[in-house]
Amino acid sequence: MMLARVADSLYWIGRYVERAEHVSRLSDIMLTATLDQNEAAIDVAHVALAAVGEAVEEVAERNALDAVHNLVFDREDEGSVVTSLSRCRENARQVRDQITTEMWERLNLLYLRVTGPDAEHAFAQQSSAFLHGVIADLHLFKGATDATMNHGEGWRFLLLGVYLERAQLIARLLDVCFSEDADRPPLSDHLTQMAVLRMACALEPYLRVYTAELEPRHLLEFLMFDEEFPRSIRFSTLRMEEHLTGLARATHSFGHSGPERLAGRLSARLEFADLDEDQGAGPLLSAVVAECSRIHLAVYETFVAYPLELRLPA
Amino acid sequence: MQLRSTDTEMGAARSMNGAGPHPNAPSEGAPVVSHLYRPGVSYDEMFEPDGAVRANYAALDARLATLNPADLAERQRTLEQSFLLQGITFTVYGAENTTERIIPTDLLPRIIPAAEWSRIEAGLIQRLRALNLFLGDIYGDRKILQDGVVPRELILGAPSYQREMIGLYVPHSAYVNVCGSDLIRGQDGEFAVLEDNLRVPSGVSYMLANREAAKRTFPGTYRSAGVRPVERYPDLLLSTLKSMAADWRAEPQVVVLTPGVYNSAYYEHAYLARLMGVPLVEGRDLVVLDNMVYMRTTQGLRRVDVIYRRVDDDFIDPLTFRRDSGLGAAGLFNAYRAGNVVIANAPGTGVADDKAVYAFVPEIIRYYLGEDAILPNIETFLCREPAQLSHVLANLDKLVVKAVGASGGYGMLVGPHATVQEREAFGERVAADPENYIAQPTIQLSTAPCFVEGQIEPRHVDLRPFILSGEQTVVTPGALTRVALRRGSLVVNSSQGGGSKDTWVLQGDEAQP
Repeated sequence: MMLARVADSLYWIGRYVERAEHVSRLSDIMLTATLDQNEAAIDVAHVALAAVGEAVEEVAERNALDAVHNLVFDREDEGSVVTSLSRCRENARQVRDQITTEMWERLNLLYLRVTGPDAEHAFAQQSSAFLHGVIADLHLFKGATDATMNHGEGWRFLLLGVYLERAQLIARLLDVCFSEDADRPPLSDHLTQMAVLRMACALEPYLRVYTAELEPRHLLEFLMFDEEFPRSIRFSTLRMEEHLTGLARATHSFGHSGPERLAGRLSARLEFADLDEDQGAGPLLSAVVAECSRIHLAVYETFVAYPLELRLPA
Repeated sequence: MQLRSTDTEMGAARSMNGAGPHPNAPSEGAPVVSHLYRPGVSYDEMFEPDGAVRANYAALDARLATLNPADLAERQRTLEQSFLLQGITFTVYGAENTTERIIPTDLLPRIIPAAEWSRIEAGLIQRLRALNLFLGDIYGDRKILQDGVVPRELILGAPSYQREMIGLYVPHSAYVNVCGSDLIRGQDGEFAVLEDNLRVPSGVSYMLANREAAKRTFPGTYRSAGVRPVERYPDLLLSTLKSMAADWRAEPQVVVLTPGVYNSAYYEHAYLARLMGVPLVEGRDLVVLDNMVYMRTTQGLRRVDVIYRRVDDDFIDPLTFRRDSGLGAAGLFNAYRAGNVVIANAPGTGVADDKAVYAFVPEIIRYYLGEDAILPNIETFLCREPAQLSHVLANLDKLVVKAVGASGGYGMLVGPHATVQEREAFGERVAADPENYIAQPTIQLSTAPCFVEGQIEPRHVDLRPFILSGEQTVVTPGALTRVALRRGSLVVNSSQGGGSKDTWVLQGDEAQP
């Protein structure tokens, strides 16, 4: 049993943590890739910026470091790392009594570092190290969450947020790379393919399965359907389903509007998908993004903003 | 002035130098408490007037003799970092940047011997018992008013007198469940009560956080001094709150009600909720249906039995009190009247910590308990009495004049520190509205050594212990010592440049190294 507002905040903490990590990683890869002055580098920059919803044409004019600086520090930008971390911490502050001190201190330290007076200087000096530090701290936060928080309702809400955000982010990334109507060449270059795998933190796990002979089709299948890779869409939806089922059990809310049913349906769709039959990945990827939005709304209606008359105590 | 002790080894070694300059004093490596420490005319917590270290400070003195300013500065940095990390901060909203600051915290504990503490403890319990009886009386039969001990209009005319409370049953007559009285130690070394805080006193989280920090800063000294623990406070608070719930509610659901994350004491609200293991709710989490209070949980509505509210009276229920309040819950007070929920502290307790009523507390104690007050009041002049008003106006340069309704160090005149113009302007305000002012002599608060700007200097301190009252009344053996960090300043409020330090209550009267 927990306050509806608290559940909402924990869910958003999960989403913001995941978003901040993803944007940091894309930024880092974009910076590293653009050290090479070639076509592939520009391609990588385009993929990265399009995947986080930045206007690509506009950004191509500027150099990559400026673009990344904005992705990290721009407070006006809804998706920037600083915005995500500020909101994450604001949510954490509102539920300070519900998260552990270990989690809070990790997050607070990271927030203070990224928003502190020295942050921009540290970034200017060693951008990549700075971004690595952010990602490592977010991993520590997730580790502290796993190791110190009760694996109960609140923990499930937090992880639900993480996996829902992750499924959407990876789907958007793949959509940019593979959808037919994308006005960019298919993923043909070896360096670009490596960069995309890195953006999903998937390079090493992929190589273990498919070796270094990169294939766009394998890459797509791996990031969509692999059951063991923790950042594949399938893995993420399975965890969503698991946590939503757990939440339905904990809150006796079976049969309301049923976010767990939506998550189960999405999992099943991914499990039995066939890319040849479905005319490419585009429709499926769009469906993932749309279904995640529906699950998000269903979660909100079931656990947070339910009508009072339905939920009086027995 | 010579200020060295002879009662410790280190002290003895150094005292050979008498009043002359300490051999190491000017150098970087010099121990920090030395002959450079210059208490003023005030009572000093650490040093006797002749310069000897008081027995309760012996252990700390010995430890300090082994540290130099750089060591202490390092510890101070660690402490501040840890507070920042824990989020024990308040937010400063600027034009460009929003920054977070920690409440300044001093490294050096203030140390109180057992004998002094037992008197404080007895005095506080006596005082709160009497004030709770007083509240029950003025919201009940009003005997004390009929007997003319306290002027009727002083109570019934006060804005903080909540008519809605008349005739309500309050379990154990415990209107005030959490009290944080402000004590000061005058020049004679005696503790006196400066103010009773009976509404929503804050600061207890600093008591607990300071203690955690002090244990890390001076672990050996802490152990050898024999300090009484304060860590049971959250537990005692929870059982106090539960003791207020109706008997038939077997497992009462307690919650902490906070105005929200933008309140300056939010950290404390979250801290107490966390350490009690109860939900921290905001007004928007509460729903009142059929005079029952519920909170919105992921499982639907859950009944709430006890609300430890950290929201002022006026804001707890827009239907009963301020209509524009979004911080409370509509219908909460009716649920309270119906006996379906406990609000702690009860609404309407503010009438008893009014600065004018304060003057009557010794009488109130005598009236209900038939005892003399163990802890004295500060002499107080009520400007509402014509004779006292003319005395106040004639002596503005010697008095502290306070507005009755104000708190937090606002709306007051510190006569000796004010300019002639300020005194005249304030005097006119007092003459125009005498009922709203009281005056007290300027009291030299005691001083305690504080680590300020790289050296140890005396700063004025007060003492805020915390008293819990439900089925039983208990005082946690510790307190928040508030410090006026500006040299010579007597204002300890955190809103006006004050800080705090840990307070050690000893098991005995001496703390040998």
